[in-house]
Amino acid sequence: MPEPTTPEVPAAGGAPAGAATTVAASFAGDDAAAAAAVAARGARRRRLPRPTMLGFATTVLGVIVLLVLAAPLFAADPDAQDPINAFAGSSFAHPFGTDDLGRDLFARVLDGGRLTLLIAGGAVLVAFLLGTLWGFVAASRRGIVDELLMRSADALMAIPQILFALVCISAFGASPLNLALVVGVLLAPTTARMARSAALQEMSRDYYAAAIAYGARQRRLLVRELLPNTTGQLAVQAAINAASAIILEASLSFVGLGIQPPDASWGTLLKEGYAFLYQRYEYAVFPALAILLTIWMLNVVADQLGGRPKRGRA
Amino acid sequence: MLVATSVIVFAVLRALPGDPVLTRLGTTQGVSQETIDRLREQFGLDHSVLSQYGDWVSGIFHGDFGTSYFSQYSVTSLIGQRIGVTLELTIVSVALATVIAVPVAVVAALKPHGAIDRVVSALCSLGMAFPPFVAAILLLIVFSVQLGWLPARGWVPLSQSVGQNLQHIILPAVALSAVASPLIIRYLRSELVEALASPFVRTAEGKGVSRAQVVLRHALRNATLPALTSVGLIFGYTLGGAVLVEYVFGLPGLGSLAVESALRRDYAVLQSVVLLLCAGFILTTLVVDLAARALDPRLRTVRDA
Repeated sequence: MPEPTTPEVPAAGGAPAGAATTVAASFAGDDAAAAAAVAARGARRRRLPRPTMLGFATTVLGVIVLLVLAAPLFAADPDAQDPINAFAGSSFAHPFGTDDLGRDLFARVLDGGRLTLLIAGGAVLVAFLLGTLWGFVAASRRGIVDELLMRSADALMAIPQILFALVCISAFGASPLNLALVVGVLLAPTTARMARSAALQEMSRDYYAAAIAYGARQRRLLVRELLPNTTGQLAVQAAINAASAIILEASLSFVGLGIQPPDASWGTLLKEGYAFLYQRYEYAVFPALAILLTIWMLNVVADQLGGRPKRGRA
Repeated sequence: MLVATSVIVFAVLRALPGDPVLTRLGTTQGVSQETIDRLREQFGLDHSVLSQYGDWVSGIFHGDFGTSYFSQYSVTSLIGQRIGVTLELTIVSVALATVIAVPVAVVAALKPHGAIDRVVSALCSLGMAFPPFVAAILLLIVFSVQLGWLPARGWVPLSQSVGQNLQHIILPAVALSAVASPLIIRYLRSELVEALASPFVRTAEGKGVSRAQVVLRHALRNATLPALTSVGLIFGYTLGGAVLVEYVFGLPGLGSLAVESALRRDYAVLQSVVLLLCAGFILTTLVVDLAARALDPRLRTVRDA
């Protein structure tokens, strides 16, 4: 039996845990064919070998996370001031130069990354929990519940995210926890749409019918059958969500409604750098580059893992 | 849809209010409770949340968005002063993005997976990584701070001086279209590739139509229609991005009004601006859908025909 390797079509044998295994195994041929079709479509779209790009992007992301987490071990103290050396250029001691108070910018960018990535991670988690439940329940209930859940998702998605974020943060206040929650909730409707369509796709498969046939309960259907089989698509959505979360956090902090000093994130660093554009423009460039590189790599991961889901609302 | 949106916006804003009156006064010292109560009364903040919502919505139908909590201006006049900037910025950006995107998409689609296509695809993926306001800051650094070619901040209305107006709008528009055009390119390119591989193109080639004619008249026309539906999405992206881009460049538009009123907890202004922008977004989507239906007979249902 050819083992499908693409993430979006999980191995058929392992999918339906328990009694349904034998039933599903007899249909494995269908799944393998589907996997081959998906692989062929991917190959036609992009000539670059997929593993290389994906590997590259994940490596870069891994390095960024590692640098940010391990910063206290090797970088200078991000809060140590040295006013005599304010706005110093790049040097061996200060690879990115120093800011208005003579603080090491390299250390500050890494330090700010911690809060940024933490908030992004929290937001992705919130969006995943909320969105998956939202989408799965809509998919499995159908009818009026589905209609209601998806209409409300549409209404939420009609508000440009940044405006909604402004509204929420000015109402609830800006602590890192609030930021993660608000951004996560904002990303939930898109995630719910994705989860719903992925779930509907899986529900038409035979293993799902088999699970119903042997009398699986609702919870088992959602958690043990649907969830493992949609992880591929959910992972793509998670990468997209992470990118959006970083943008939202940076945007809010940039206008002063996100992380508040003395805490630092990439957004607050941008804000400070923006204030000193004429003194030393590199101040704003480095946090900007950090944001760009991270988002770019996240986008590449999302693309390579299975293409962006079409977000058009035709 | 719009009703649901307005309820959400309103509910969230009232859910946990930092008191707008207190924020406006800045301090409670030396201000008698009486004054605070009078201010509350003046803005209708002493009514129940439901009746506040009722007042707001019924006001909107009369073209009255209420009064700013912060300044004494009516929200309608504040929005009126600023809506032009945002409209101009959005229209110029979307137009610029389209002008950039269409030729690039055509060239890329001519040889799918050729060298040009791969370069374009790489550039697109980079372009989509730019949050518009980050692009705006970088453009500001290059063209205003370093080269000094263009003014960094501020605004001159179109009615005052066309040239200066252009100088102020070009950088924000480029920042926004740098993010919007990759979206259009991607979408249009994939539609074009599909159209170029379809039977009607082979037929056209078979009867000896020139390559340019085939691409521009046959394939592009068919590819544009599906791509048109994505314009609603592009518009939303641009509006969302414009909020911060306006702030970066100090443009007096609705976006910076939203940011300012969020910072001041001026909910009266914030809720109306957000609702207005959402309405703009929903309306565009609707108009685009209707336009696509009018232009493409295939989308019409039996009942319409």
